[in-house]
Amino acid sequence: MELILLSLGLSCVTGVFSLVTSKAHAASKTIACIGGMAAAVLSFSGGIGALFQTATYASWVGPMPFTNFTLLLNPLAGLLIAVIAALAFAAWLYGLSYFDEYYDKGIGIIGFFMNLFIASMNLVILADNAFWFLVFFELMSLTSYVLVIIDQTEKSLKGGFLYLIMAHIGFLMIALSFFTMASATGSLEFESFRTCAFAPGIATIAFVLAFFGFGAKAGMVPFHSWLPQAHPAAPSNVSALMSGGMIKIGIFGILKVCFDLLGVAGGEISWGVLVIVIGAVSSVLGVVYALGEHDLKSLLAYHSVENIGIILLGVGVGIYGWAADLPWLAAVGLLAGLYHLVNHAMFKGLLFLGAGSVLHATGTRNMEVLGGLARLMPVTAVCFLIGSLAISAIPPLNGFVSEWFTYQGLIGAAMDGDLVMRIVFAFAVVALAITGALAVTCFVKAFGVTFLARPRSDAAEKAHEVPAPMLIAMVMLTVTCVLLGIGAAFVAPSISSIAASILVAPAVPVAEGTTLISLDTVSVVSPLIMAVLMAVVIAICVLVRNAANRKAGIKSDPQTWACGYEFDLTMETLASTVGANVKNFMGPLYAIRYGVNRAGEAVSRLLGRTLNPEKRSTESAQHDPEGTLSRFDRDRVHGIAPAEKRAPALSNSVFSVVNDLGSWFGRMESGDFRTYIVYIVGALIFFLALIILVR
Amino acid sequence: MTIIVAILQAVLLVTLAPLFSGITRKIRAKMHSRKGTSIMQDYYDLAKLWRRCEVKEGGSGIISRLTPPIFLGSFILVAAGLPLVMQACPVPFLGDIITVLYLMALPRFMFALGSIDSAGSYTAIGGVRELLVGVLVEPSLILVLFVAAIAAGSTNLGIMANAVGTLQAYPFVAIVVAGVACAMACYIEMGKLPFDLAEAEQEIQEGPLAAYSGPSLAMIKLGVSVKQLVVASLFVAIFLPFGAATTAAPLDLLVGLVSFLFKLLIVMLIASVIENSVMRARYKYLGRYTWFVVGIASLSLVFLVIGI
Repeated sequence: MELILLSLGLSCVTGVFSLVTSKAHAASKTIACIGGMAAAVLSFSGGIGALFQTATYASWVGPMPFTNFTLLLNPLAGLLIAVIAALAFAAWLYGLSYFDEYYDKGIGIIGFFMNLFIASMNLVILADNAFWFLVFFELMSLTSYVLVIIDQTEKSLKGGFLYLIMAHIGFLMIALSFFTMASATGSLEFESFRTCAFAPGIATIAFVLAFFGFGAKAGMVPFHSWLPQAHPAAPSNVSALMSGGMIKIGIFGILKVCFDLLGVAGGEISWGVLVIVIGAVSSVLGVVYALGEHDLKSLLAYHSVENIGIILLGVGVGIYGWAADLPWLAAVGLLAGLYHLVNHAMFKGLLFLGAGSVLHATGTRNMEVLGGLARLMPVTAVCFLIGSLAISAIPPLNGFVSEWFTYQGLIGAAMDGDLVMRIVFAFAVVALAITGALAVTCFVKAFGVTFLARPRSDAAEKAHEVPAPMLIAMVMLTVTCVLLGIGAAFVAPSISSIAASILVAPAVPVAEGTTLISLDTVSVVSPLIMAVLMAVVIAICVLVRNAANRKAGIKSDPQTWACGYEFDLTMETLASTVGANVKNFMGPLYAIRYGVNRAGEAVSRLLGRTLNPEKRSTESAQHDPEGTLSRFDRDRVHGIAPAEKRAPALSNSVFSVVNDLGSWFGRMESGDFRTYIVYIVGALIFFLALIILVR
Repeated sequence: MTIIVAILQAVLLVTLAPLFSGITRKIRAKMHSRKGTSIMQDYYDLAKLWRRCEVKEGGSGIISRLTPPIFLGSFILVAAGLPLVMQACPVPFLGDIITVLYLMALPRFMFALGSIDSAGSYTAIGGVRELLVGVLVEPSLILVLFVAAIAAGSTNLGIMANAVGTLQAYPFVAIVVAGVACAMACYIEMGKLPFDLAEAEQEIQEGPLAAYSGPSLAMIKLGVSVKQLVVASLFVAIFLPFGAATTAAPLDLLVGLVSFLFKLLIVMLIASVIENSVMRARYKYLGRYTWFVVGIASLSLVFLVIGI
């Protein structure tokens, strides 16, 4: 606990110093990064220490009776803090070089808000009082909002605004959830929630509100729309921190409310089903929409929606097993969810840093004009490839391990389940399988189109490898991904013991020697031995082939064989090629989105501003008879992004519901920031009044 | 002992793969009223390619170099883990269905990357289509395996094979329907007509090979044949485990080996007869066929749920 408090203090001091020295760009950057790294090391060691200890409290009396400043550090909080600290360390290290480009955009401000952002995330995790939890949650949203709009482009402002709205919708639901619980206990201390046996109805209301509120923060469907607009707009290492770290706070919140605060009341099976269904839908839609993206960072952001879905599948199995009193399931579900949480933080952080390096080297995130970077930026390419393999759950990397446990949990749950539950779990398993296959497709696209073939623009041709600090940060995360995979048998027991501490139950055995075991489904896997076997078999194949090459010779031909046609660069596969192929089979799923997009436009019309920048560029593209469009715009017209076709039947019903909802929100928000602020203040007054009445 | 069985299985599948594809070619020739080449033709082709000079093409780099070994190596590893000769996995930690499915995703990943690497449009389209075939087949395959896993009480292929082989898997009808769906899904995955013509340069499965030459081409061609056998063996292992050894006694193993080869031959014969009796479907309409397979797989789930 002391280490973490020290780290929080250091973050704040560093932030202020960085702001004070903001005139001297380089000094400000160095102070922010070095201070941030030191703070990350402190909180990492604090977090890791907490994993193996019992919960510790710290409390200070606040100015008002409901503002006692209570902090709680338990193994779950320790895990989250350690994950965020590891990511933060990489992000700061990366920033040492990456922030050079941000000198004219207010480096001091970045240093200040990024430090504050990390500190507020840690405080949300630690806070054990509803009032302070909400305060820090809001602080986290606001500081990250500033980081999103740091570029001050139209796109980032819009993405940031949408983020702000969604963050507050989430905030509102979480606040309502806490106040529901507070109204039953008469106190805002989490300790009082924890010891109170809520009536099942109250508990369900509180859980559902908290689930959707935290879900909005986590970016699950149907609250995902902000994520692909907001995350890519921030500087890449902040995107890594947001996609890797911040959205995990949403998962943390769901776990905390369900198992900790409502623990005495006990869960309901229906909660688990809700979480699993939303998780399944999120994972499929997230990856389907990612396939339609040309922008490397937006693609990665959509994959966060997918991975949150996979984490929710694990968490859902955990909740189901806990509610149905099946200890193995509860433990394995939570193990899968938490393991994937850690893994996603690592490989998504890595991939965002990789995308940042591409941006740094070429100045664009548009995959269509990249290509051929593997030869120019070999280290980045290798790191990005390993990240891609890990996120596609290819054995023996870390993504595989957590998805393996998720599958075992789902199948094990179906074995014990009744008629309805079997169908739910079958649905979830199929969704996870589709997600896996689509993720492979999507990362073949992301890596292949960006790094392979030949450069398709001057920028890509002149790319260069990025400076050492950025490389070290990426390599660090790459190594972590590999170790979390092949060392799974040594990591899983620790995570299993965290799951046990959440469930207040003895830990179930999940590993034996170098083997991971799944008791209920009687199955084993050993990533370490698999890695060795794969290395040996593939190495033998390589050696045999190379021996034959040496005998027969090898030469190279600069011309690409294009089946008799003369090769030119327009023949290369683009992101839109893949997208168009996918659309061929997944058309209906995109149609849903267009319906929702139109609802979004309806909202934005009422708001007096367009949240959808795509629309305008499409229009301008169509008013261009000369064909002077850039390749990117042409792809947007012919490719997958714009939808001019009328959405078919399925989406129309969804559309009308969403449209009604949209116009309802539209009436609430007149489109003026000032009105909006009045609305927030009104809500706060209302809840303060509510608390006073309740007390 | 079981390690030897595993190595034997892998070596057997690799050495027999060209023979099986040679037999398939022979059957096609006969059905076309042609004389056809020798069933050993694929060995001759591979040997010839093996001695040829390799040409590295255009923009291709390390990924294209790595793809053939990874492609072949992954399928060798899958082959070693399947319960083919015995009704148990020779290497237990390679025998989980999830492990097998995701291990088979690695060669697909590398294959498609290799196709993009060479910068040609034909190769890359083939690679992307190959990935999407995977996307379309995966749901039915996992659903079928889900049903089999629940019926057998384990996700371990050996235990599943044993439960089906000793007729202890319950409910029975669900398993039979799942077997039918699995056969169809595996058939599509094998890349045969009406979904694909595995021997034409501009098709899904061989199109991406346009940029390879010499020993690399030989290796990846061998890999494609091994893949067909492995996918067929996956079906045989789970749903036709009859005759496979239940103990590790040498005689049982021998019977298991002979019966496995016999079953595999029958499956490949049926597959090639079907292949040559249908015409080719447009790639665009692949989704319609796969929906049909998803339908049958769902039917097996329904039977599982209601317990008949």
